[in-house]
Amino acid sequence: MKLSLIANSPDMETMIATSMLTTTSGAMPSTLYDRLKAKPEKVADIVGRVEVQHGNILEHNRLVWRLEATRDEVLEIMLKSKFFNITEAGSDTWVLSCNLRTIAEYHQIHPDEFSRELIESIKEAAPHVYGFIKGDKE
Amino acid sequence: MKAELLTYTPLAEVKKVFPDLETDLLLPHLNYTFAIEKVSRACSHQLVRHRVASFSQQSQRYITVKRLSEKIVVPPSIGSNEDFDDLIDSASIAYQKLVESGIPKEDARFILPNATETSLLLTMEGKSLVHFLGLRTCNRAQWEVRALADMILEQLRAVEPIIFNRAGPYCYQLGYCPEGRHTCGKMKEVIERYRVE
Repeated sequence: MKLSLIANSPDMETMIATSMLTTTSGAMPSTLYDRLKAKPEKVADIVGRVEVQHGNILEHNRLVWRLEATRDEVLEIMLKSKFFNITEAGSDTWVLSCNLRTIAEYHQIHPDEFSRELIESIKEAAPHVYGFIKGDKE
Repeated sequence: MKAELLTYTPLAEVKKVFPDLETDLLLPHLNYTFAIEKVSRACSHQLVRHRVASFSQQSQRYITVKRLSEKIVVPPSIGSNEDFDDLIDSASIAYQKLVESGIPKEDARFILPNATETSLLLTMEGKSLVHFLGLRTCNRAQWEVRALADMILEQLRAVEPIIFNRAGPYCYQLGYCPEGRHTCGKMKEVIERYRVE
């Protein structure tokens, strides 16, 4: 099985912080997003306090991978989590996508090789989420 | 009311790797996140019926509703109406009294009307969004959610015309009206409204 990240929503961690503050502050979400984009240190601080249980704030994003896997391997992924979107793109080649919540929850329940590959692929795009998902299990 | 597209996964990035895959097959892999602001709770109730989506909404458990009469959505059909205004004022006073007396906000909010303004983040994948637009830009949709859906569509067409120039009410997408006996009977003019040159 081989996984390559090919696309993701931009500013994923800024959006997580925006989502957290939207629920608890009276400020408009677009204002929060613009303010937070200019303050990466604040985003890091807020995202550093995220817990996996607070799942919905991790859903405002999507990551897309090229997956090389057999049909059996793909079936196993689909049986383990219903939240992956998977499309056949050729012989043993698939488009796979999900959001950060799916990755975090999958890793909590199935810390297998596939989940480790998923997590390693988000290291640059969502470094703080990468940190807490990894730290949560290790 | 305001709807602003904050982030999305661009079709072009996925197409670079999968140029031969039909765009429709890629729609579930593309996400769009909007800031939806100053809509009524009646409107947000309609949004959350679209279950294949993610929402982060201002919580009335944590945010005190101050000056309710300035933070409501008034339907044009009501406009300036003494009964409506009186009820909003009464609800506002009662809510403040409850909060000041120590009732938790999560309980005091039971008195707040559907007209109360709310803001939220909405994320939907492409396929669900095309379905949402099919239903909510329809002439039969309620005016507030239809106005919101029109704003959303306008912004999507600006960034991803290949996908969303084909989106709009179902009569525009399908070439026939699926509303049956509930049809607005104005399919031709609706299609014309959403047609892209």
